[in-house]
Amino acid sequence: MSDIEEKIREEAKKALEDGKAAMVIGWGAGSVPFRTTPVFIENPDDVGKLVWNPACTNNLAVYLPKMAKDRKVAIVAKPCDIRSIVALIQENQVKRENLYIIGLGCAGVVDPSRFEEKGIRLPSITGIEWVDGKIKVIIQDGEQLVAPEDCLREMCLACTKREPAMFDVKFGEAVLPVEPKPRELPELPEERRKYWSEQFSKCIRCYACRQICPNCYCEVCFADRVEPKWTAKKAVPEENWMFHATRAMHLAGRCVQCGECERVCPVGIRIAELMREMAEAVKKKYDYEAGDPNEEAPLLGTFRENDVDPAQHSE
Amino acid sequence: MSEDTLVVEEKGQEQKEQPSEEKRAWQPIILGILCNWCSYAGADLAGSSRLQYPETVRIIRVPCSGRVDPAFVLKAFRKGFDGVMVLGCHPGDCHYAKGNYYARRRIALLQDLLKALGLPEERFHFEWVSASEGNRFAELVHEFTEKIRKLGPFTGVVETENKTQSN
Repeated sequence: MSDIEEKIREEAKKALEDGKAAMVIGWGAGSVPFRTTPVFIENPDDVGKLVWNPACTNNLAVYLPKMAKDRKVAIVAKPCDIRSIVALIQENQVKRENLYIIGLGCAGVVDPSRFEEKGIRLPSITGIEWVDGKIKVIIQDGEQLVAPEDCLREMCLACTKREPAMFDVKFGEAVLPVEPKPRELPELPEERRKYWSEQFSKCIRCYACRQICPNCYCEVCFADRVEPKWTAKKAVPEENWMFHATRAMHLAGRCVQCGECERVCPVGIRIAELMREMAEAVKKKYDYEAGDPNEEAPLLGTFRENDVDPAQHSE
Repeated sequence: MSEDTLVVEEKGQEQKEQPSEEKRAWQPIILGILCNWCSYAGADLAGSSRLQYPETVRIIRVPCSGRVDPAFVLKAFRKGFDGVMVLGCHPGDCHYAKGNYYARRRIALLQDLLKALGLPEERFHFEWVSASEGNRFAELVHEFTEKIRKLGPFTGVVETENKTQSN
């Protein structure tokens, strides 16, 4: 889809030249062809650095609260990134008038590690493209088509919101998944406790999940506080539980299901599953979806008189 | 066994069937987070009315149920409380007009989080108790203590090898 890439570059150049933005945040080529890296462009001559391919996975909204604080920024964003931006606007972390959103219809992005399952050696990859709803992987001696369900990120397979919800200009068409893939968790409470015990015991408390999360924007995280000490810094299962449980609570009604936390986790904790459970509960109880521009106020910053009553009325 | 296993040790109280030695041996430790204006006053009323209730509950007074950060409850469990109860003013009666409405949403989601993490939901109790409901407060503590006693000691927020063996 190089025509979309071309359009993004043109739009970025125009935005910089017309003064719509002082900086463009987008994806640039990574150190290997199946990865991309965030790029920050201030000079209109540099827009050639921008790329758009199925490896553009970073949620760039994470940079906005700091970078778009007192100047205009253009951002290239997928629908999930745009949901993060909407949530940030609703929580007054960034001003809409400071943003120029180049929205993209999405077909999902890839998890490169899944190529190996399909017999494609990562070092042999020289490029990745979308072709007719499939992923074309260009390798040294030819090319190979891979079905989306075999190489997309798990979060993308479950995603049905691939149309940008807010944008100044939009390129590309959304390709919806054939069949959204449900992600299963153990049913019984005891099994769940065991499942999460195993997951959290792996945590090394690197806080990559927190750093990558656009909606984890607190200036001082509870995990870094010494007074009061919510959780000790040592990586023991109980403390890890405290960190992840509190973080899940903080992101209830905020998490937009971009799945970045899970992607960056060096030990593979399935954080996004917990986040998704919470998002489902939020949807069920309050009919609220984080990142929906139609929501008027942040979930926990408002209430209705007839909200669900959590009291257990034991009498 | 139902309510008749309550530990009622005061003389002159309605004597119920004495619980077995084994049951008397273990008393749960329960954290009660009470709003200053209603539930804490309700607990106070229970006390000044000489109502008897189990000494299992450790009370923390907060200005409003809206002050209750869900992390208070999470930390209480992490530190090993056998049960946690949060009590606030009835909806519409908040001293600060709407603090308990905010609390209501947070607590409802906290219940979902505990469920998602596989913690026994019964160990967390949320209720509206007004300043005039001293009786109700005493009853709640009775019932909740009994419930927790049936569940047994809390084995911690995570399952570790040692713990599973010793249980």
